[in-house]
Amino acid sequence: MPKEHQELLQRIVELCDAVRKSGLDPFDVEVREFFDRLRELLPKLKTNEELYLDVQAVLGLADVIFQQGEWIKHKSSLLYLDPLLITLKLYALPARDLAEVLVRSWHPIIDLESLSLPAIREGLDYWRNLPALDERFKELGVTEVMTGEIARRELAKMGILSDEDLTALLDRTWRELKEAVGEKEFISYWKFIQGKSFEETVFRAWLVSFLVSYGYATLDINPLEEEINLKPLPKPQVLENVATFSVPIAISREEWLKRRRKHA
Amino acid sequence: MPETTDVAELREKLSRAAQLLFFRHHLQPGAKAWELRRALGRDYEQILKLLDAELEKLGLMVKRVSEGEEGSESDRYFITLRGHPKLADARTFGWRVDDMAMLTVAMAHVLSKGGKAPLKEVERILQEKFPRWRVESTIDRFIRRGYLSEDDQGVLYLGWRALAEVDQRTLLGLLLGKEKSEGAEAEREEANEEEKKMEEQPDRGR
Repeated sequence: MPKEHQELLQRIVELCDAVRKSGLDPFDVEVREFFDRLRELLPKLKTNEELYLDVQAVLGLADVIFQQGEWIKHKSSLLYLDPLLITLKLYALPARDLAEVLVRSWHPIIDLESLSLPAIREGLDYWRNLPALDERFKELGVTEVMTGEIARRELAKMGILSDEDLTALLDRTWRELKEAVGEKEFISYWKFIQGKSFEETVFRAWLVSFLVSYGYATLDINPLEEEINLKPLPKPQVLENVATFSVPIAISREEWLKRRRKHA
Repeated sequence: MPETTDVAELREKLSRAAQLLFFRHHLQPGAKAWELRRALGRDYEQILKLLDAELEKLGLMVKRVSEGEEGSESDRYFITLRGHPKLADARTFGWRVDDMAMLTVAMAHVLSKGGKAPLKEVERILQEKFPRWRVESTIDRFIRRGYLSEDDQGVLYLGWRALAEVDQRTLLGLLLGKEKSEGAEAEREEANEEEKKMEEQPDRGR
């Protein structure tokens, strides 16, 4: 099977998984469009592995439809209230009022803790196996070592300290990103992190993860086209009212070599 | 004397039901439907109704909580307060106002999202009002105590204790001010007065 077909099937399966596990809005998935693409793909599938992936994708989409049903049920239930309205209230009310809301809808459980036979047995075993006091405080035979000094350069060599402060490093990378983007709005993630060696590429990817987490840049991901674009922000900011999530991006040596050959 | 025997048997079952529900036998309080059936017999629901009537006099009630399908043998029964405590009372049994506020925010957000919400999202909302270090440790505590539960994907749900103790509809209704009444204001004044009294009499309640 051509690789792009396999990737499409896998991406559909992963997207459906994300809806089930991460609470994404199931109506964000273009179910009909995906089914159309699966229908086009079906005659081209030959092996059991391909058909198995296709079945998984169909099951995933069926599950998304189920989640859509559950969502509608929730929306039509008496418990459904506009999430935005609730969020606004949560932000607006002081802690004491919020506490009062809980207290007035709260019916605490009444129960008494009691010792059970297994607990008594466990306590007895613990007591029997407890070493005597003089055994517990026996001194360990250790040699006293005096404190000494170590140079910063030595620590850097050992990998404990970095030669450069992380903040300064991030600042430099951010400026580099802004220069690389220039007049355009964004740059390809892979293009920006590409280094002379595989290690350098991984290091740059690591720095980019900090830039994104600390609000120096944003990632724009198109899962179907497998495009990841990096957009620097004019100044570091925490984006409010925007859903954030972690994005694992795998970097393998093979992938790096392939991209390097492509851009050579 | 068949009637006396029946009454004695009924009293015995009633006290057995009270013991099963009041005393903690497992990690969670209360007892499951199948445990009660085994201990009290097939008519255990009738015994629980009688117990509920007795507990009403004390301001308590028997509550049934379904985790999956309603009417299942794994449903759990608890004894809870019939009414709700006052804010000042809740503080005396170890709850800080901030903790209660955080639980309200977490539960209301999860409920508004259809019963599940990413942990990170809940943390972000809480960090708007409370310090980050307190948010993380308090959510952990809520999870340990069963008010919230988290799956391996980092998604939060309402925990078994929240399902048993919190009236979800009332919580959301009160939050939006639907059921806000003069009573809330009166209770707040009452709570303030009680706090003042406690400050004046520091030895009270020890």
